[in-house]
Amino acid sequence: MSVLTLFLIIFVLFVLIRIVPGNPFPVERMSAEMILQKRAELGLDKPILIQFVDYMSMLLQGSFGNGTSLYNGAPIKPIMMICLENSFKIGVLSILFGTAAGLFLGIIAALNRGKFLDGLCTVVSILGVCIPSYVFMIFLQYFFSYKISFFPYFFDASRFLFSSIMPALSLSLFAIATVARFTRNEMIEVMNSDYVKLAEAKGLYGFELMRKHVLRNALIPVVTVIAPLVVGLLTGAMVTEKIYGINGVGKLMVDAIAGEGVDYNYVLALSIVFSALYIGIMLLLDILYGIIDPRIRLTAKEAA
Amino acid sequence: MFKKFFMLICAALLIAGCGGGEESANNKLSVMLASNVVSLDSGQCTDVASFEVIADCIDGLTQLDADGKAIPAIAESFDVSQDGKTYTFHLRDAKWSNGDDVTADDFVFAWRRHCQKAEEYAYIMDSTVACVKNADAVIKGGDPTTLGVSAPDPKTFVVELDAPVSFFPALMSFPTFYPINEKFYNSLDSGTYGTTPDTFLSNGAFVLSDYLPGTANIQLKKNDSYWNADKISLDAWQYQVVSSSDNALIAFKNGTLNLVTISGSQVEHVQADAELSKNLKSIPSGALSYLTFNQDPKNHHAGALANVNLRLAISNAIDRESLTENYVMNGSTPTYTAIPIHFAPNAKTGKFFAEDQNQFADYVGFDVDKARGFFEKAKSELGKDSFELEVIYSNDGGGSTKVIQAIKSQVEENLPGVILKLQPMPKAEYLDKVTTNSFDLALTDWVPDYDDPMTFLTLWTTEGCEICEHWSNADYDKIIADCTSGSLAADYDARWNAMYDAEKILLENAVIAPLFTNANAILIAPNISGVDFHVAGVNRVFKSATIK
Amino acid sequence: MEKNYTPTADDFEFISDRDLSVDLNFASQGYWKGVAIHFFRSKLAVAGVIIVSLIILFAILAPIFSSYSYQEIVSVNSAAGKEIVAKSLPPQFGDGSAQNLFSDKTFLFGTDDMGRDLWTRTWQGARVSLIIAFVAILIDMIIGTSYGLISGYFGGHVDNILQRFIEIAGSIPTLVIISILAIFMEKGIGLVIVSLLLTEWIGMSKIARAECLKLKEREYVLASRTLGAGSFHIIFKQILPNTIGPIITQVMFSIPVAIFTEAFLSFVGVGIVLPQCSLGSLIEAGFNNITVLPYQILPPISVLALLMLGFNLIGDGFREALAPKIENM
Repeated sequence: MSVLTLFLIIFVLFVLIRIVPGNPFPVERMSAEMILQKRAELGLDKPILIQFVDYMSMLLQGSFGNGTSLYNGAPIKPIMMICLENSFKIGVLSILFGTAAGLFLGIIAALNRGKFLDGLCTVVSILGVCIPSYVFMIFLQYFFSYKISFFPYFFDASRFLFSSIMPALSLSLFAIATVARFTRNEMIEVMNSDYVKLAEAKGLYGFELMRKHVLRNALIPVVTVIAPLVVGLLTGAMVTEKIYGINGVGKLMVDAIAGEGVDYNYVLALSIVFSALYIGIMLLLDILYGIIDPRIRLTAKEAA
Repeated sequence: MFKKFFMLICAALLIAGCGGGEESANNKLSVMLASNVVSLDSGQCTDVASFEVIADCIDGLTQLDADGKAIPAIAESFDVSQDGKTYTFHLRDAKWSNGDDVTADDFVFAWRRHCQKAEEYAYIMDSTVACVKNADAVIKGGDPTTLGVSAPDPKTFVVELDAPVSFFPALMSFPTFYPINEKFYNSLDSGTYGTTPDTFLSNGAFVLSDYLPGTANIQLKKNDSYWNADKISLDAWQYQVVSSSDNALIAFKNGTLNLVTISGSQVEHVQADAELSKNLKSIPSGALSYLTFNQDPKNHHAGALANVNLRLAISNAIDRESLTENYVMNGSTPTYTAIPIHFAPNAKTGKFFAEDQNQFADYVGFDVDKARGFFEKAKSELGKDSFELEVIYSNDGGGSTKVIQAIKSQVEENLPGVILKLQPMPKAEYLDKVTTNSFDLALTDWVPDYDDPMTFLTLWTTEGCEICEHWSNADYDKIIADCTSGSLAADYDARWNAMYDAEKILLENAVIAPLFTNANAILIAPNISGVDFHVAGVNRVFKSATIK
Repeated sequence: MEKNYTPTADDFEFISDRDLSVDLNFASQGYWKGVAIHFFRSKLAVAGVIIVSLIILFAILAPIFSSYSYQEIVSVNSAAGKEIVAKSLPPQFGDGSAQNLFSDKTFLFGTDDMGRDLWTRTWQGARVSLIIAFVAILIDMIIGTSYGLISGYFGGHVDNILQRFIEIAGSIPTLVIISILAIFMEKGIGLVIVSLLLTEWIGMSKIARAECLKLKEREYVLASRTLGAGSFHIIFKQILPNTIGPIITQVMFSIPVAIFTEAFLSFVGVGIVLPQCSLGSLIEAGFNNITVLPYQILPPISVLALLMLGFNLIGDGFREALAPKIENM
């Protein structure tokens, strides 16, 4: 099923990218004749279905082809892998930090509902949503790299983890805010539900109650907000990558689509990877639902 | 949950503790690049950043000295035939960084390959610029061995031209004409040339020590086998891609970078700071910003711009001094000619081609009354009172958004009835619109490739470059053809004067409205000297740079 | 004449929506009245309403009553006939204390680097951003919620197909969608709204689906079904009201996302067309000069933060007022 979806996605993307205005190579100094010649050379004069078949057969051989305007027309795969790796590492760092901090804040806020800590959590989550991560990045850079020269001013690949801290922190801001907010709201709802009251009435309290009854039920909607965040963060943050000079996929995508030529093959390759990731995470999400909430697992079995 | 979170914080602090203590970058040259290096293949690259890095690593036949004069590089000397159509270059003993000799065959291989690949810059070989024999045919798919280049022996490289080209020696410093080691190239997997330090060979001053496609940080070090290695004082240095000018300023203050380019608002800030402003310099860049009017009668506003008076009205309603002083602010100069200032000096008199800015004052200037006069004429000729025109521009950073808004405000104020609608777009889409004539006005920055007015004048011919194909003038075409490969090519003075005639045709028809010649405002640390800046081709050269 | 009566099909009828007996205890007070009472009892929610109303008021009135238009470049001609533009001036109050040629003019928030009054532009930007966010998010909410509920409720094949469609729609990069849309539409507010529509409904539908998965197992849904209620009755009358809490929370979060997506679009050149402005494009412009002219980014970002604070407080208030179980039980 997922394979069929992926196939459909590739087809739709393939067709859409052929409609994007602009040529897949720089044309500023070319004559009309040269442009046509170049297009023919790249096989762009063939009917789109034949182009698609060619592309799919190349893809099935495990190749994403060569670039058309970026990086010497070199094979895409190795270059994309480097960028993916960089974005992934930073994305994972920021997801881990964002989710942990978000859950922490959300739970603290829910347990102290209406008190000072709750208000603090609200302020943090609102700031997190309001301040774009790149503005926060600039602040971090300004204070920690310029005012006190602690972190390197630009990303330094030779000290990967150390120089990842600032971008990961700024990217996690949005995750912290979203997760904290959802956790708080869900926790409050669950804590007021009948079964928690019943459990309390039966004498269950404290950590045990939280773990067995509250957290489990509160986490379902939280998982739904984390999943898209994961895709977003793993696939890179364009502006932050640009400011801090990280060689990541967000930047690669923008270079491919906003350069002098729209590099069809890069845009396609990146989109396909993003889609596969997205589908993978959605699958994972469905499985997670089942683990967290046995009721869903049961219905799924009945249906099958 | 507490525990996990706590451990994470501890881990972060630990890592932070280990990595502290930033080394000062003050004694290492760190140069800002405003955009990515797109390709290190001299046959493929089209952007200034790539040209610059390639020129750091590879030497061509000639190079430019600090004043922009051609001096020997790989070619120790050269002879020109009587008719100026055959150049014989005598190569010196130079080595590639893998130990191979640099031979004439490397040049033959590279030139043939570039013509055959027919990428954007292949045009520089053809009859509009270098006039290499048979280049046009090879670019269109002909046999590459018919190209007019040959290597009678490993140290002699002969080029045959279709017409004499007065600036040919200087042109040889342009990266498209650089050699590629054929044996090394063929030993690589297809398409991998120039994607890592291992797949790239230098014969020039520096070698790549760290580079990946798309990387924001490029490390270079001195090439010990360079033929002129004694003269190179830089040892290891780096490029850093910085996209925001504000970021660049802070990085300079911080000492992370010691040569950066900044834009208007940052320039104002620096000028207010007595200490910092000592490092500020304005370097002319030779790039011309201008507005193109689409005269295609079929365009979607029924070709109002096909009316010359409307074009002249708009051109004369723009206060170029206000543009540069209030909005660009980096030292750019208002320009009233189709050729930018500080560019293309006459080989005999040494005067710049566009030295006299008043010679076309009848057509280009800022005079609201005159502009309104033209506008009244246009209105009666077209039988319309109001014109809504679409202005397209590419928004790849830079000051173009400020400039275009200022133009809109000036034109709408000075010519009541004209409405300009701004349409920003990515570069590829912009080029698509420009080449297919679907726009009314377009804001263009044109960067010269070589130090001759022709790098601009060939833009507006009927044949060739697609970016201005809506206007066609037989007289203009004839002058350009005569000057590039025709009867005037051999006569320096006659060619020079004919180019003024061509420029006059262009401006009296108001094909374009020139705005200003760009400049780069740079901050350079006081301990750096010897960086050469050029208006055309490779903009910055670091071969003679020193750092104390 | 009493005979054994044989029931026929006509004696029975299916219970349809209109015959359902609904518990009217709560309704007797008026549902929305109850909500309103709960809502206005919360001080924070009222504060939120005040903040948002004030900003909306300013967004409507400030550009009208300002002495400058949002696109007017303020300038004077010097004695030498050169145009001098009031660019990059810090806030001044027209009392003559400012050391420049414009000391008699008032710029409450200063001017931008084009010499335009930031006070006017900030409120004009707030106006544009609010219009975009409201229109886009409202439509998104309708589409996304219905989609998610239907998908979650029916499950099985319907869910499968609908979720596959979301995967396809969700995996096409925003940049690609917008580049293509830009061929068919004129750049500007309309394009931004349409592209937000196409990209933002997915998140909403996921929340709705997840809620629906949880709620459809509840006893009251089972009860409704036993009473013969149709699927759509259950979805929109029984489940929907109970999902409004999370959905409103999502809406409150979607509004800043919408505003930032718009800013991102401006960044890549398909957003608001200058000299028109939005909070996003003003932040973008201020960001370019953030360390040299920090006062330029402060007004738009503060208005944005206040706006978001307000929306969040209102969202919280609504959520709790709509779900009285939290308060009352």
